[in-house]
Amino acid sequence: MLKADIDADIFRETIDVISALVPECRLHVGESGIRTRAVDTANVAMVSIELSADAFNSFVATEAELGIDIAKMKNILGMMGKGDVLKMELPDEGHKLELAFGGYKYSVTLLDVNTIRKDPNPPTINLPGKAVLSGASLNNAVKAAAVISDKIALGIDPDAGIFYMEAEGDTDHIRLDLGGDDLISLEAAQARSLFSLDYLKDMGKVMSRAEKVEVHLGIDHPVKFSFAIAEGNGQVEYLLAPRIEAD
Amino acid sequence: MGVAIRDILADFKSTVEWGSLAGVAAVDAHNALYQFLSIIRQPDGTPLMDREGRVTSHLSGLFFRTVNFIEKGIRPVYIFDGPPPAFKTATLEQRRETRRAAGEKWQEALKKGDLEEAYKQARSSSRVDEAVIESAKSLLALMGIPAVDAPTEGEAQAAFMAIRGDVSYPVSQDYDSLLFGAPVLVRNLTVSGKRKFRNRTLTIRPERIVLKDVLEGLEISREQLVEIGILIGTDFNEGIRGVGPRTALKLVQQDAFDATVAEKMAGFNPGLVREFFLHPPVTGRYDLAWASPDEEGILELLCEGYDFSPERVTGSLEKIMKTSGQKTLDRWF
Repeated sequence: MLKADIDADIFRETIDVISALVPECRLHVGESGIRTRAVDTANVAMVSIELSADAFNSFVATEAELGIDIAKMKNILGMMGKGDVLKMELPDEGHKLELAFGGYKYSVTLLDVNTIRKDPNPPTINLPGKAVLSGASLNNAVKAAAVISDKIALGIDPDAGIFYMEAEGDTDHIRLDLGGDDLISLEAAQARSLFSLDYLKDMGKVMSRAEKVEVHLGIDHPVKFSFAIAEGNGQVEYLLAPRIEAD
Repeated sequence: MGVAIRDILADFKSTVEWGSLAGVAAVDAHNALYQFLSIIRQPDGTPLMDREGRVTSHLSGLFFRTVNFIEKGIRPVYIFDGPPPAFKTATLEQRRETRRAAGEKWQEALKKGDLEEAYKQARSSSRVDEAVIESAKSLLALMGIPAVDAPTEGEAQAAFMAIRGDVSYPVSQDYDSLLFGAPVLVRNLTVSGKRKFRNRTLTIRPERIVLKDVLEGLEISREQLVEIGILIGTDFNEGIRGVGPRTALKLVQQDAFDATVAEKMAGFNPGLVREFFLHPPVTGRYDLAWASPDEEGILELLCEGYDFSPERVTGSLEKIMKTSGQKTLDRWF
């Protein structure tokens, strides 16, 4: 069972976070809020998100697992205006989620959760380096690299005390060093891994709204981005597997 | 082969687009290899062979189908059968005899010049033997595709992995995975989307069957689905002559399973078969890791080893090398 009211923008932000990686997911609803963890079809990236009950204007729920068509949800939320309030309602054992806003009332058939991949276990990864910076500058760096290449190296040089991004195109090269005041903080440890910009572009767009993003890095390891949404009432983690560095 | 419950599943099949199938697929290796061996043949029934006369139909099928999967965002894991349970022996004996007889009839038909009959008999003589399995496994290893050896039935293992959530769905033409409890089953994942059927060419599309829909729609439990299988016959027991899936469904819905078995299957104890479907031997020890294809190794095996055309193999390899270079999260879970 679920009965909740939420600000349209906050819920849209939540769905955007998920839709950057997967078209559908199992959404876990419970007393304390909603959460999901999903891996993209290629097993390259993972999103996990928790939105506490405090993010809602009102929230009452019992334990349930909802099969959500994220792509469809995104389209529906696109119909909502700024400042709208979204009312959600799902009866016990119900298969249709009611979404009401601005006079509209959608009744959305849920997906059979058995047809959606189960949530993966939280992976165990040791990432020693951490740089904290604004989501906007992270997204800008991703966009700058995408102009000349389809992959980007993220790294930390502990001796220089910098977090850097470097991309190599067929003929061109770009590098951005961030240190000192450019960063909110830095836990310096030798780190460098190469990542696909196809993924980072989608994630970057979502992260650009975050005031600060923690970037956790290792050597030839996945990168973990963690940041808050919903005015601090939601927490997101993105995980992206590295590419193989060409010689 | 497999349990013939197709007639009662028709309402629960939905055709699906390739695009919605991206994910991890547990492919019934024996079923796929048998398909390749029986279908990839010349009009007189001769399979694809290399210079030395070794059959290569299955390698051709496996290679091109797997490439197609990868292109479509499907990451396959092939599940191989282990040793059959003791009570399957009778079925296997029967199949061996059918194949042997078909082999003879194929040769007879060729002598008479009856190509249609020759093709038909040749298909029935197809056999997945040790050499077929070994060569298939070598090819998969070079392609960076994981293979899992089931303790007994591959479909039971695939169902188990789907229940655990390690794979998105099993792929098989047979329906046994549903009896083994697979939440979803996907069929018809062929490259061409065409199938010859009684000299007509049919267009076929991938189809998906959701176990929950079947059980709810027929108002039966999974145990009862297994009972239907037992009444009409499975790979592990002979069914009752004259009882098809619809009759069996009615009997089971009327709670007449035990009485029917007692009356029509004298001396048969269904417990063993039922238990096998509900709690089959499976293993949790497997490693699902996909690696980049070894381009040179594949060319060496297929082109130098089995006389495949280098142009065709290279062309297909290019398609999948594009997506390689990207590691997956598997190794960190």
